[in-house]
Amino acid sequence: MKFHWFHLMPYPYLPDRFRERYPSVWVDLPAGEIYDPVKGHQVYNDYLDQLEFAERAGFDGICVNEHHQNGYGLMPSPNLMAAALARRTSKAKLIVLGNSVALYDPPTRVAEEMAMLDVLSGGRLVSGFPVGTGMDTAFCYGANPATLRDKYREGVELILRAWKTRKPFAFNGKYTQLRYVNPWPVPLQTPHPPIWIPGGGSIETWEWCVENDFLYAYLSYWGYESGRPVMDGFWETVDRLGGERNPYRAGFLQFVGVADNDADAERLYAEPAEYFYNRCFHIGPGYYSPPGYSSVATIRRGVNSAVVQASKHLRTASVTWKHLIDDGVVVAGSPQTIIDRLNDMADKINVGHVMLLCQFGNMPMETVLYNTARFARDVMPKLRNRFEEHEDRWWPKTTVEVQKPASVRLAAE
Amino acid sequence: MFTTETIRHPDGRTSKVFRAGQGPLVVWLHGPKGIRGRDPVIAELAKRHTVVAPLAPGFADIAELDEIRNVHELALHYDDVLQALGLDAVTLVGHSFGAMAAAEVAAHFPRRVARLVLISPIGLWQDQHPLPDMFGQVPYMTIDTLLWKAGKAIPSMADPADEPNDPVERQVAIAQALTSVAKFVWPLPDRGLRRRLPRITAQTLVIAGAEDRFVPASYAEEFASLIRGAGMAIIPDAAHMVPYEQPTEVFRKLDGWITAKDRAA
Repeated sequence: MKFHWFHLMPYPYLPDRFRERYPSVWVDLPAGEIYDPVKGHQVYNDYLDQLEFAERAGFDGICVNEHHQNGYGLMPSPNLMAAALARRTSKAKLIVLGNSVALYDPPTRVAEEMAMLDVLSGGRLVSGFPVGTGMDTAFCYGANPATLRDKYREGVELILRAWKTRKPFAFNGKYTQLRYVNPWPVPLQTPHPPIWIPGGGSIETWEWCVENDFLYAYLSYWGYESGRPVMDGFWETVDRLGGERNPYRAGFLQFVGVADNDADAERLYAEPAEYFYNRCFHIGPGYYSPPGYSSVATIRRGVNSAVVQASKHLRTASVTWKHLIDDGVVVAGSPQTIIDRLNDMADKINVGHVMLLCQFGNMPMETVLYNTARFARDVMPKLRNRFEEHEDRWWPKTTVEVQKPASVRLAAE
Repeated sequence: MFTTETIRHPDGRTSKVFRAGQGPLVVWLHGPKGIRGRDPVIAELAKRHTVVAPLAPGFADIAELDEIRNVHELALHYDDVLQALGLDAVTLVGHSFGAMAAAEVAAHFPRRVARLVLISPIGLWQDQHPLPDMFGQVPYMTIDTLLWKAGKAIPSMADPADEPNDPVERQVAIAQALTSVAKFVWPLPDRGLRRRLPRITAQTLVIAGAEDRFVPASYAEEFASLIRGAGMAIIPDAAHMVPYEQPTEVFRKLDGWITAKDRAA
């Protein structure tokens, strides 16, 4: 099993009585009214410190992602954050779970920036290509939901061709036409970094991932029990298409809080968890599923994305710590409790790549570092050997010695 | 009450066309609600007209939209339909999104359309009067609050006989209908129609509901001002779904206008 430290970069100063006062945390929450860039300066730097700390603690990967006009996701450009991290880290892989390819014209911009990150980091990049939520794509970036997925697929195809073809070519697509496709630089990993596809419950995405040997990452915010229908659907698709049930072809996101015991966990993590679910995940119901965003086949299957689930969970009552713990949304308690739960997760949904949210909501810095350090020290070693019989073909092959910044080298001498 | 036929486009695609009534022919391009088995608007029109009503692409099968990439290809699509039906110089009546499509057809192919009736048309954007987001401000399953004066559909348009009983299939039907509209109006319903409206040579009447909360009256006024010689009628006690809310009044106006134009001709 591999463990990745995932940051959403939530804004930790969302006002009280948030749900009564604002219709949505996303799309139209007035930035000029709520976001304070002076506080933001500290928030960004704290969050980058936390990601860097995760490397030192021993996490395999550090994850950044992409959201737009979103009070719980302050990374419209995950590439900028990854660039900052590339210079300040040397061992952890950089798992970049943007870029929403359909939002960039031409998509070769994504090929360029991802290749820059791969070269800069010494071949540590995981290249994530989400289609992007309806909020990010259709409502914030004006992408037509009727053509979004088609455009996204074409863009990914173009990027992969650009990385695999070693001389210039012309591309005559439905959405992009280029006379000269020839992005510089080329990635350090050959032929390209591993491709991870963060997804919801879209049937076509499962098939596409298996057919192209992409990793499928289900970024559920609701724990592995409620994530089972989606992961079952993915593994059934793997079986149907004749793939192997290698757990490393799948990733899953889990909230986690390590403490001495249950009471201690509640004291440390209840407030930031309730902050996340009641403020950060308060999404205007009109925004989560623009027409055309989900295919007819996906609607018929009735598997909902994390965001749709959120709107269902949160439409009426507030979420409480008890509910989050009882439903397995947050896995918290003593190290042994967490080890047992993550083993149960491994048994039930067969994921080799676990992305952990050790920071959520408005969690204070010292709690984040404590949670991170304890997870790395008390939990990770007990789960390391899970799935060791499987080869991880979805992980960066870093072949060069990573050059550290001169300032770091000099300080060490 | 209807007969249906399937016409074939030159590239092999097909379209479903409803037909009803007897009398002078009108072509009806429906709005975001599609066409129902006991559609009250077609019933009203069919009292005195032969009504030919093509189902907009995507409403029956979302895949129909794949090769209709923009409003110009949408106009070509309807030109194909009229060609296949052997219709020229028609009276074209459209509602809401259907009125936008009708205006595009009349602007792209002025000779196809002799008379044009635009009811609650969309297709323009005025910065001073921004339209509410029909897809985002409310869950789209309850879009009715924006469109209907009463905040919900009139009973004959909520006829369970014409709605799939299965809740999932109902969701599919709504998603297909709204995707078919969204494809041509997302994120704002402005594809440059303002530049094309002066091309229209059809005799044109613009009709709007006085209490439309979705499209303000200033839009009907701009349509009428940009189409040469266009007339305008505001129907009281009706909102965006005016042809369903006040069918008798709308089509009394429409017939009176046609008769007057016939007499003038």
